[in-house]
Amino acid sequence: MSSLRELQTGFRAALLAGDERGVAPDVVDDGVNASARLAVYRHHVLTSLTAALEATFPVVCRLVDRRFFGWLADSYVRAHPPAGPCLFEYGADLPEFIAAFPACAPLPWLADVARLEWAMNVALHAPDAVPLEPEALRTLPPPALARLTLRLDPSVTLLASRWPVDAMWDANQAGVDPAPTVDLDAGGAWLEIRRRDGDVVRRALPPAVFAFRAALAEGRALEDAVEGALDADPAFDLAGEIRALLDERSLVA
Amino acid sequence: MHPAGCGIGLRAPHVAEILATRPGIAWLEVHAENYMGGGPAVRSLERLRADYPLSVHGVGLSLGSAEGLDAAHLERLARLVERLQPALISEHLSWSVTGGAYLNHLLPLPYTEEALDVVCRNVTRAQERLGRRLLVENPSGYLRFRHSTIPEVEFLNALARHTGCGLLCDVNNVYVTCANLGGDAAAWLDALAPATVGELHLAGHAVNDADGRTILIDDHGSPVADAVWRLFEHALGRFGTTPTLIEWDTDVPQLAVLLAEAAKAGARLDEASDVVAA
Repeated sequence: MSSLRELQTGFRAALLAGDERGVAPDVVDDGVNASARLAVYRHHVLTSLTAALEATFPVVCRLVDRRFFGWLADSYVRAHPPAGPCLFEYGADLPEFIAAFPACAPLPWLADVARLEWAMNVALHAPDAVPLEPEALRTLPPPALARLTLRLDPSVTLLASRWPVDAMWDANQAGVDPAPTVDLDAGGAWLEIRRRDGDVVRRALPPAVFAFRAALAEGRALEDAVEGALDADPAFDLAGEIRALLDERSLVA
Repeated sequence: MHPAGCGIGLRAPHVAEILATRPGIAWLEVHAENYMGGGPAVRSLERLRADYPLSVHGVGLSLGSAEGLDAAHLERLARLVERLQPALISEHLSWSVTGGAYLNHLLPLPYTEEALDVVCRNVTRAQERLGRRLLVENPSGYLRFRHSTIPEVEFLNALARHTGCGLLCDVNNVYVTCANLGGDAAAWLDALAPATVGELHLAGHAVNDADGRTILIDDHGSPVADAVWRLFEHALGRFGTTPTLIEWDTDVPQLAVLLAEAAKAGARLDEASDVVAA
């Protein structure tokens, strides 16, 4: 007889690793054997988590087809089960898993499509934050301003890809031209994904603005962020950019 | 405000229609874990809250985890409960977390003194943090453990006695468990301490094959079975009028189908209250 802790560890191994040795001896075998009974639970765990991933990554699923996605998701669930019960938070490291999944190697852009879908998921579910009031910046002396770290709204992701993932995403929505052509060599994408008024919105940013906001997203101080932006474009307009961030309610207190 | 009559489990495809048409529904039950972020889902629920009594039904607290409750998750549940001020709060007699992994299922416990101690400790901790009484739901069962020594219904009665929690009696789960593991569903209901029952659940189940034998799966994907309606009537005869919920999670139908199912339960609740009044 196992302790409860041992039984739960053994049950997990039976569900995720297919190793029933730790739990099967504890299961009553009356007519339906222990393996078949454990399979009922395993089936639910794997299919429900696959469905959760499909809901978060529908374009990845469409691009590889549901059978391949089912295999990919099954492998991912077994290696990276959720760390908590909020399933809208599950799948953060699926893009890295795809990047390292040997069968996905012929699709080098797939991980970035997954990053875009994860960013959209983050935007949809991010906590509601209070925007920063312009007055809060106006009262700061310039030296303090330079060392300031501005925080972006938690729904915002800055995503750079060498692939046109925005066009790929658009081409794979229900109701669009069934045979669109996306030129994979059309160049990369520098995207901002966020929630605005309850809707997830995406747009392409000019390189300097992207560099500036990406630096803020990484938690870098204002002077470092400006340096990166000026490297990308010597004509970068800092005052205009700060005004835009405040107008878009992209900064939080 | 206490929910009476038959409510429905709120599912994403129905939210816009309910907001637009405000149908007469006695109350709404939501899965706690779907509302722990921000954004439009939470906003919609806050609007619905103004018109319908709410029940918060947790699926991820893992009251049966030997390693204890996840403190961070309990904290998020407490904040949700503070914000929504639901009429009822419920969770399950099961576990889903071990070694920091969440297995997304209501997994079975051995019914032993050791497990009873673990669940009592976890329920007490949850009730202390929430400052509220929890209702604990009987799971649907697909296996039994050899070392179980306590009948499921006695385990639930003891849990309620030791912690002061209430019980959520899922009538479909009673039916499914008794069919899968042997047992008399009506006798199961008769053995449950009636004063502890604060809510009833109804749902459909699927009939599958496992190892050449029929096994019922609690998939919440079809209308309530006739045998479960009869068991529900038996439950009402024993527990009296009790807030009842229709759950439908897979192949979610049109809202009208769900409301018709709730009306069927509502008619039986009315009959039960007439009997009590007479």
